Amino acid sequence: MSEAVHGDTFTPAATVLRRRRRRKGWLAQNQGAIIRHAVIILFMVIILVPLAWVGIMSIKSLPDAMRGNFWPKRFDFTHYSYIFQRIDTLPRNLFNSIYVTAGTVFGTTACAVLAGYALVHLKPRGGAFVIAALLVSLYFPVRVVSLISIYEIQHFLGLINSTTGLILPYITLNLAISVLIMRSMFQLVPHELFEAAKIDGAGPWRTLFLIGLPMVRNGLVVVFIVNFVTAWGEFLLCTTLTNDQDARTMPVVLAGAQGGLGQWSWPNLAAVYVIVVTPGIIAFVFAQRLFFKGLAEGVIKG
Amino acid sequence: MGQSIAATGLTHNPAHRRGALSSRMMRLQNGVGAWLFLLPAVVFFVGYQVYPIFRVLWISFTDYQFLTNEPAHWVWFKNYAEALSDPLMWASLWRATYFTILFLPGTIILPLLLAILVDRVTQPRLATLYRVVLLIPAVIPSTLVFVLWKWMYNFQTGPINHLLVDTFGLFDARDAPQWLGGTALTLPSIAVMEVWWGLGYHTIFFLAGLAAIPKDLPEAARIDGASEWQVFWHVTRPRLAPVMMILVVLRFGSAMAVIDEYLIFGGFNRETPTYTWTMFMYDEAFKTGLWRQGFGAAIGMIGAVAMMIVVVFLLRIFRPRD
Repeated sequence: MSEAVHGDTFTPAATVLRRRRRRKGWLAQNQGAIIRHAVIILFMVIILVPLAWVGIMSIKSLPDAMRGNFWPKRFDFTHYSYIFQRIDTLPRNLFNSIYVTAGTVFGTTACAVLAGYALVHLKPRGGAFVIAALLVSLYFPVRVVSLISIYEIQHFLGLINSTTGLILPYITLNLAISVLIMRSMFQLVPHELFEAAKIDGAGPWRTLFLIGLPMVRNGLVVVFIVNFVTAWGEFLLCTTLTNDQDARTMPVVLAGAQGGLGQWSWPNLAAVYVIVVTPGIIAFVFAQRLFFKGLAEGVIKG
Repeated sequence: MGQSIAATGLTHNPAHRRGALSSRMMRLQNGVGAWLFLLPAVVFFVGYQVYPIFRVLWISFTDYQFLTNEPAHWVWFKNYAEALSDPLMWASLWRATYFTILFLPGTIILPLLLAILVDRVTQPRLATLYRVVLLIPAVIPSTLVFVLWKWMYNFQTGPINHLLVDTFGLFDARDAPQWLGGTALTLPSIAVMEVWWGLGYHTIFFLAGLAAIPKDLPEAARIDGASEWQVFWHVTRPRLAPVMMILVVLRFGSAMAVIDEYLIFGGFNRETPTYTWTMFMYDEAFKTGLWRQGFGAAIGMIGAVAMMIVVVFLLRIFRPRD
């Protein structure tokens, strides 16, 4: 109702329009809004149905999974315990994923905060050049083309087949965009604030942690989530730089699993999937308010 | 700030020396301090992005093979000549282009439409709910999206064919569509998946662009008797152009350089539509023979340069005109 008249301020034309609308029935009056919501909801359903399908698959009984009905005749919740008991490498792979993701998110966020702060408020010589290089790297297919050399570097450092070694190239995957986001976040913080802290005798580190960080909270959430999503789902580098199932992360294991019978039956696969995909969605739903603020402040301008 | 330390060192006036020295020290300290903050990011950026690109460029001029002890030789443009005279190079570039043509319009136009609809929702709760649902696919990591759709597209057990065969009876079990696995449907199927994945994220992008347009502008146009289409074309569209430019250029870049999807859905069969220049590079550098990384590097460079030419062209088209 409120949106049918939204924006009609005090213009006479709008008043006439509103009166004319009022004479018709509720349905005709809100026709536009109804169609609009119907279309939006259709898109929402398209987004959610694949996820609902995999969620329900994970609690289907085996015969139901083979039949392929959306709603099962019998539920079976044992797949979740089964996958941890019967698939030997799974706990290891899950741990690898958590470990690599934590390292990457921490590493990239730290680099991005320090660099963003320095670029805006410490104005290092050559800062403009660094920013230009970061921007250019966004348009160049670095991830694919650099692969041959990254393999060589990791080989040289003895990090082939090392889970820890993955963190190093992972940090750079989103480094450019993270630094640029943090830079535009720090641009929103008035320079006088940092000047005042300096006059009060605070060094650049104290200034950054006590004054800067709280002010760029929303941007931190964006950088955090963007890097979490990338590291948690990375495939190309992990599959290229590791050989052993033990050293690999969840996405590579899931991508390599062929659905069928036995330990990789469809409901088991779906249960693994749900375990891997849920943390990100839950974290996002909780952080969404900060995320949207950060997105509006930092990403769009950056 | 921009003044160089060496230049300040040339002041020989003794009266100023003391002041110059301390201010020089200050400036030096300040500069070093700033670079200390910048250092971690720069080390990673140079070590794992800038250096590798130049290293790959260098390798592309050699006959370097990874699985051999023989030293590499500088061969100038031999790899490039070999790649460019190979029909597979052109076929693989075309496959990547074809995928981009399939993917790009859908991933721009659908979110734009959806954003215009969601933008008019004024109930705060509903608007937030829509936005949260929209962004859910964006927080699903890439590989998990591909794995999910690999199952959805499965010929025998996937829900899409279940719907088409068992529910609607449009096909029987034998002539049901083979969505993935090297058929002509493979690239369109992957494009649909990619549009699904980006739908919410791009909509949020456009919503941010729409939020920046003053509300009275389209209102005024409507009161002046402009149709909804005219309002969109003359008021909204020009103001969304910058957002659209960023999306078109970035998505063009990601679509041309897709590789994870092809590694997961396709394979190294050189006849399949998913064998693009990125797969060609990967195949030569990490799969075939003695890992001819010199040749692979040249393929990668050719692909990257071809892409950059189009990116520069796109940036010129979308350049804001006054």
